[in-house]
Amino acid sequence: MVTRTWQWTAEPGCKVTVTNPTDAELVETCLEGNRDAFGVLVERHQHHVYKLCYRFVGNHEDASDLAQDVFIRAYRGLKNFKGQASLGTWLYRIGVNVCLNRVASKTPKPGPLDALLLNNDARVTSTEESASDALLRGERAGQVRAAIAKLPRKQRATLILRVYHELPHEEIAGILGSSVGAVKANFFHALNNLKKLLQ
Amino acid sequence: MSHLSRSEIVDLVEETLPQERAAHLELCAACRDEFETIRAALRDVAAVDVPDPSPLFWEHFQARVRDGVAKTPRSAWDWIRVRGFAPLPAALVAVLVVGFAISSGLMRGRSALVTGPGAPAAGSSTAGPATIDLQDQEISAVLDAGDAEVWAVLTDAAADVGFEDAHAAGMQVYPATIDRAVQNMSPDERNELGRLLQSELKRSMD
Repeated sequence: MVTRTWQWTAEPGCKVTVTNPTDAELVETCLEGNRDAFGVLVERHQHHVYKLCYRFVGNHEDASDLAQDVFIRAYRGLKNFKGQASLGTWLYRIGVNVCLNRVASKTPKPGPLDALLLNNDARVTSTEESASDALLRGERAGQVRAAIAKLPRKQRATLILRVYHELPHEEIAGILGSSVGAVKANFFHALNNLKKLLQ
Repeated sequence: MSHLSRSEIVDLVEETLPQERAAHLELCAACRDEFETIRAALRDVAAVDVPDPSPLFWEHFQARVRDGVAKTPRSAWDWIRVRGFAPLPAALVAVLVVGFAISSGLMRGRSALVTGPGAPAAGSSTAGPATIDLQDQEISAVLDAGDAEVWAVLTDAAADVGFEDAHAAGMQVYPATIDRAVQNMSPDERNELGRLLQSELKRSMD
């Protein structure tokens, strides 16, 4: 059995000792007034939430701001978490809302790190891949990101949740408040539109 | 055999379409083209990944979230819970009722004072926010500290009312409402509130 100690020093002297607690147990601890438990939840879900945000806005700075916003909103609304869905799904729901509101008010634009991102895409190469192939792949990735950013909001959300986060259609339907049929239709249209945008 | 629906094409791309329907693809060029388009787009999308930020970023990120959480004010409900009064619904509602009574009374008191003899006349060019310190007068006007009947009415009213009921009845509790109410109480009032909370605590433990 793995025992770990998490120190989340929001309140002096406060410490949580946990033994592989479930998300539900951590939520309960958090609702009892222990903010430290929330730190464990952040550490557990931060990668997924950050990546979700990145997929929507396409740059590191905005993605980290949005991911922070998602967790703070989650903390404020934790007492409304009923446990019917997993905490991860609940965080995705908050994340999608935060991101859709953001992209509605601000056109996604590549940040200063976008060039770095393209370089990064190009850097991840196998030994057999030539530099020009890597460059082409990086350019293609940039085109795909730009095309995804042009999709209507629900299509974009569906595509991101399905392809990159591999959520089942049923779960996506729950997050977006629509039916499974509508999710599949959105997914189809998203891919179809994407192909047109990329031609 | 009918053409594949959009939903079926998605299922086909994800390899969950039953074989008898998937067989349609062999006979229908239109469906085959549509399927190829969707599959190619999916391949393009799936090839794009998000680079992982550095471990240093995550430390910084957690610190930012922690700061954000620390700045989040505790709600009145948290205030009660953290201090161990969670099993005291009746006492809680009593506090809420007091807070609510004070808040409503403040409003009434403010209105009465501003429109009273010393207040600027309506339409006067000097009309504006009252500068009188109303605090003491208002509190004493609303809560007659020694009035046992007031307390009796409040506690009776609170006894069978849950938090949700109180909320549904329109008693809005703002973050500082209870703190303000308690701070504004006289020593006698605080003693009485303490006595009520303690008796509720004992009762809930029986």
